[in-house]
Amino acid sequence: MAKILFNHVYKRYGKFKELAVNDFNLEVEDQEFLVFVGSSGCGKSTTLRMLAGLEDISEGEIYIGDTIVNDVPPKDRDISMVFQNYALYPNMTVFENIAFGLRLRKVPKHEIELSVKRAARVLEIENFLERKPRELSGGQRQRVALGRAIVRTPQAFLMDEPLSNLDAKLRVHMRTELINLHKKIGVTIVYVTHDQVEAMTMGSRIVVMEKGVIQQVDKPENVYNKPANLFVANFIGNPPMNFITGRLQERNGVLEFHTNRFALRIQEQHAYQLRNDHKLVDRTVIMGIRPEHISFEEIALQTCEHSVINGVLQINEFIGSDRYYHMDIGFPKMVVARAHPRYHFDEGARAAFALDMNKALFFHKDTEKLLTD
Amino acid sequence: MREINNKMLQRLYWKRKEFMHAVKRFDRTQQFIVLFLTLLSVFMLLPIVYVFNHAFKPLHELFQFPPTFIVRNPTFQNFIELLSLTQSTFVPASRYMLNSIIVTFLATVGMVATGAICAYALSKHRFPGSKLIFGSIIASLLFAPETIAIPRYVVVQSLGIMNSYFGHVLPMIAMPVGVFLIKQFIDQVPNEMIEAAKMDGTTEFGIFMRIVTPMVMPAIATITILAFQNAWGNAETSTLFMQEDAMKTLPFYMSTLTSNLANSVARQGAAAAGALIMFLPSLIIFLLSQRKVISTMAHSGIK
Repeated sequence: MAKILFNHVYKRYGKFKELAVNDFNLEVEDQEFLVFVGSSGCGKSTTLRMLAGLEDISEGEIYIGDTIVNDVPPKDRDISMVFQNYALYPNMTVFENIAFGLRLRKVPKHEIELSVKRAARVLEIENFLERKPRELSGGQRQRVALGRAIVRTPQAFLMDEPLSNLDAKLRVHMRTELINLHKKIGVTIVYVTHDQVEAMTMGSRIVVMEKGVIQQVDKPENVYNKPANLFVANFIGNPPMNFITGRLQERNGVLEFHTNRFALRIQEQHAYQLRNDHKLVDRTVIMGIRPEHISFEEIALQTCEHSVINGVLQINEFIGSDRYYHMDIGFPKMVVARAHPRYHFDEGARAAFALDMNKALFFHKDTEKLLTD
Repeated sequence: MREINNKMLQRLYWKRKEFMHAVKRFDRTQQFIVLFLTLLSVFMLLPIVYVFNHAFKPLHELFQFPPTFIVRNPTFQNFIELLSLTQSTFVPASRYMLNSIIVTFLATVGMVATGAICAYALSKHRFPGSKLIFGSIIASLLFAPETIAIPRYVVVQSLGIMNSYFGHVLPMIAMPVGVFLIKQFIDQVPNEMIEAAKMDGTTEFGIFMRIVTPMVMPAIATITILAFQNAWGNAETSTLFMQEDAMKTLPFYMSTLTSNLANSVARQGAAAAGALIMFLPSLIIFLLSQRKVISTMAHSGIK
C-alpha cells in the first residue's frame, strides 16, 4: 500500500503537441478511494494510463510510494488495472486468467492456487474457475477482472470505467460490491468514470477534470455543495444546477440580486462576502441554485417572501419518488425544480415558488469561480 | 450399433428437416441463389474428382476422347509405373521426397512465423513508417512471380545460398497474403487485452505467443495451409536456384516425368498418379482444419 503523487504532470499528443493533461498536481493518500470524473476526452483516462505506465509522461513526475515511476515499465510498478471491457484472456480459464500474473512472477504453484482461491472466495466466483470467459455473464466477467487485479496484492488498483459495460441494475450492485471490497482489502484505488453517481457514491475524494485540468479535488459532499466553479456546479448533480445571470444591487442597505424580471434578497453572510471580499456591488454575477432548493411549499412561500418568483410550468417529469418541473421564468433557459409528487401542476399553469437563498451560490461572471461559501 | 445408427439417422432427418424449413422461408431470389451456389460448388468439386479418377485410369482411358470424368476400369498400373520410374532415376526419388519434406516444413514454419510477427508489429505498434511498410507489402501482391524471378535470382546468388535448403526457403518466406490476413485478425484483438498482459508482467514476445497467437489461431491455421500448399507444390526454386539434382524437390521431379521427353504421351499414367500423390497432403491438411479456414474467410472478407 502506498501513496501516489502527481507532480506537475503534462501529456502532449500528436503533431501539434496538444495538451491532454495540463499541469496535474495531486496526492493520493494511502488506502484512499479516489475517483476521477469528467466528460469524455477530459484527460482522466490518460492520467490513469500514465500512472499505469501505458502512456508516456510528457513532463513532470509520478511517484508511487517514494519512487519516481516515469521510466518504470508497467509490470514493475506493482499496480494492477481493471479495464472497461474486462480484457480477460479468452483462451484461458477463469483460474488461469487470475493466476496469469502470478505465474509470470514465478510464484510457487501451491501459493498461486491458494491466492487464486482466496480471491475467488472474496469475489464469489469459486464455482466458475474452470470456465472460459465466454461462458460467463457480464457481471461475472467483471468479477474475474477484479480477481485478476486483487490476486497480486498490488500497491494500488487502477480502474478505468469498470462498470460502464454492465446494465443499470448490475452496475448498482457491483458499485456496492466494490465499496465493500475496498473496505475489506483496504488498498489504494484510483477509479475513472464519467458517471457522477458512481463518483459520488464510491469516492472518498473526487477529482473533477475538464480539458486536462483539475477543476476541483474534494469530498463528494463538498464537490456537490461547494463546487469550485461553474463547470463543477454544472457537471455534478442531476438534474444540473440552475444558473441565472443578474446584477448585484444595494437597496436600503440590503444586497439584492436583480434580473430584469425579479429581484431576490441575498442572505447576509453571502452579501458580506460579495460586498466586502469581492467588491461586486453593481456588477453582473451568476447565481446557481439546485433543483431541490426550489420549493412549492406554502410555508416556504411565506417565510421566503423576498425570494419568490413566478413561472409557467412547461414540462412535468414524473420519476416516481420526485417530480421535476421545467419552468419558464422569462429567460432563454428554463429553471428546473424538484418537488414532492403530491404537487401536481398541469403543463402551462402558472405557479409561484420560493428559492432557498441560504443555499444559493454565486459565481464570478468572467472567472466562473465560486464567490460564496 | 443399431442404436448409434438410429441416432445418426435421426440426426440426419432433423438436419434435412431444418434445411428444408430454411429453404421454404426463402423467397424466389434466395432459392435461386441457393440452387446456383449448390451447382457452382459441385462444379468446383470437379477438378478434385478428376484428379482422383485420373490416377486410376488405365492408359487407353487416359487418352480417350471425349475424356471421361469417372474411371471405368480402375487400376493401380499408374502407381506401379511411377514406382518403377522412381527406382530407375539417377537421384533416388526418396531424396526428392526428403528435400520436399524439409523444405516444406522449414518454409511453412518460416512463412507463418514471419507473417504473424510482422502482422503483430504492424497491427499493434505505432512506429514511423508502419503505414508505408504495410502499403508496400500489399503492393507487392500486385507483382506477378515471373517479374521478380530475375531479381530474386540475383539476390539468392549474391547471398551464396544456391544449392542449399536456404535457397529454397528464403525466397518463399515473405508472404504478403499471410501478413495481410493475420493483421486483419490481430486488429480485432482489443488493445486493452495487450495492456492487461503488460500490467500482468508479460514480455512483448510473451504477449505475442500467449495472448495474441491463440486468439488469431484460425488465421494462422489458414496461413499454414496456404504456406504448405505454396511450399509443397513449388518447383520454381528447384528450377532457378538448384543446379545440383540432389537438392531439387518432388514437384520438380514430377514435372520432369513428362516434360523432358520427346512426346507427351509416355508416362502420362505415372504423371496422373504423381499428381494425386502431390495433391493428397494438401487435401488432408485442409480437411483437418477446414472449420478454422472457413471462419477466417468469413471474418476477413476475402475470398
